Amino acid sequence: MYKSVTVKAGKGGWGGPLTLVPTEAKHKVVSITGGGIHPIAESLAAMMECEAVDGFSTGVPDDEILVAVVDCGGTARCGVYPKKRIFTINVLPVGQTGPLAKFITEDIYVSGVDESCFSYANESDVQAAAASSAPKSKAQAKQEVARMSAGKEKGFITRLGIAIGGVVSKFYAAGRETIDITIKSILPFMAFVSMILGIISASGIGDVIANTISPIASTLPGMLIISFICAMPFLSPVLGPGAVIAQIVGTLLGVQIGLGNIPPQYALPALFAIDAQVGGDFVPVGLSLGEADPETIELGVPAVLYSRVITGPAAVIIAYVASIGLYS
Amino acid sequence: MEFIAGLANGFLSLFQAGAATFTGWVTGIIPLVVVLMTAVNSLIKLIGEDRVNGIAKASTKYAITRYTVLPVLAVIFLANPMCYTFGRFVDSKYKPAFYDAAVSFVHPVTGLFPHANGGELFVYMGIAAGVSQLGLPLGDLAVRYFFVGVVVILLRGIVTEKIYLHMLKSDGKNG
Repeated sequence: MYKSVTVKAGKGGWGGPLTLVPTEAKHKVVSITGGGIHPIAESLAAMMECEAVDGFSTGVPDDEILVAVVDCGGTARCGVYPKKRIFTINVLPVGQTGPLAKFITEDIYVSGVDESCFSYANESDVQAAAASSAPKSKAQAKQEVARMSAGKEKGFITRLGIAIGGVVSKFYAAGRETIDITIKSILPFMAFVSMILGIISASGIGDVIANTISPIASTLPGMLIISFICAMPFLSPVLGPGAVIAQIVGTLLGVQIGLGNIPPQYALPALFAIDAQVGGDFVPVGLSLGEADPETIELGVPAVLYSRVITGPAAVIIAYVASIGLYS
Repeated sequence: MEFIAGLANGFLSLFQAGAATFTGWVTGIIPLVVVLMTAVNSLIKLIGEDRVNGIAKASTKYAITRYTVLPVLAVIFLANPMCYTFGRFVDSKYKPAFYDAAVSFVHPVTGLFPHANGGELFVYMGIAAGVSQLGLPLGDLAVRYFFVGVVVILLRGIVTEKIYLHMLKSDGKNG
């Protein structure tokens, strides 16, 4: 017999509380945390007497997922499952952020979760959770009515007005999306990286980087080694999330280019050398967004990771050749 | 008292270099990115996802377009992470290769179209900031990054496709 559990937000977390009611059809706790089952997923599954699944190596059809456990720093994963309206638990304290921020709502998402956030649900919560799925069909009916009335004939002026309004509203929405992402993603990143850079340059670590990394990053063999390390199948899923590491390394190399320690034409191959792991953490999620079935995901993950060992360094060579004549 | 003041100054100076970097980025990078992103976002909303669906479907037939035209359209029109949903147009056996091609393009695209991956701009911007510090123009780097990106995703697509099909075959024999 399955047990229902209420999950509330942990320290610094956001969203929830969510009441999880496992059923015969929907009883899988899927851990999408870069390989392995996260302890939080494990203990939640144990409380509910459900099955915990490693979503990184095993594909699970969406309609069997009761809840997805992610460790997303705020780029993509934390929004992908809410967008599909699958309950999402983020073990990191991340709120409504990333390109899919608008789908991250309190009724589907909870973050900063640790084991103290779980408690068995009482009867009234379970009934409320069961009832909340019903009103959706009413909303759908309303939409259908709206669609039917939209099909009626309209005059030329009305149509022109609607068209202009439509265009303007699209411009406005574009502006709002841009400002959203600037405030929610770009500025926070600038804040934290400029802090790190400041400390690095004021504390003298900058000189160490200039003396060790710069000579490596300004030769072709050195960059091939960097890309090979980034592409190693056991490292690439760890280095991937949010491209945070690639972004920091990119900024550090940028500083060295600015100081003249790395020639500017090496910028192009360097961009590929530090990015051989791109998306290595995201393969199962990306594949499920592309409607791949679980078997495809299972073999697809290692296929992509192994491929990078070849194509990572190859990309550096292509970029190196293509950088001939750049800034000279 | 003086000792404590000296300590405080030392502590603050640790962050002054960071503050200068932050100001430089906010005034140097954000205005252009904001205007460019708004423009491209508007254009893409006006064209609409539906209108590229036809081209996307047609491009799945040949490997050379499946791993160039399709991922480039997906990344520019749907942006990271929704671009991977274009995987639905390709045959099951090509899905991992398509994903590899698409995900490998989410950074090369940012030099010219920052809207496509606003959350991860600094892979490119970080390195580009150093180049512009030297007083060099960024256009050449952005364009080359974009086109080398297209070549690289084609290669990734083909190699991953071969590896996946090989694994599928040997998996079938064992099972």
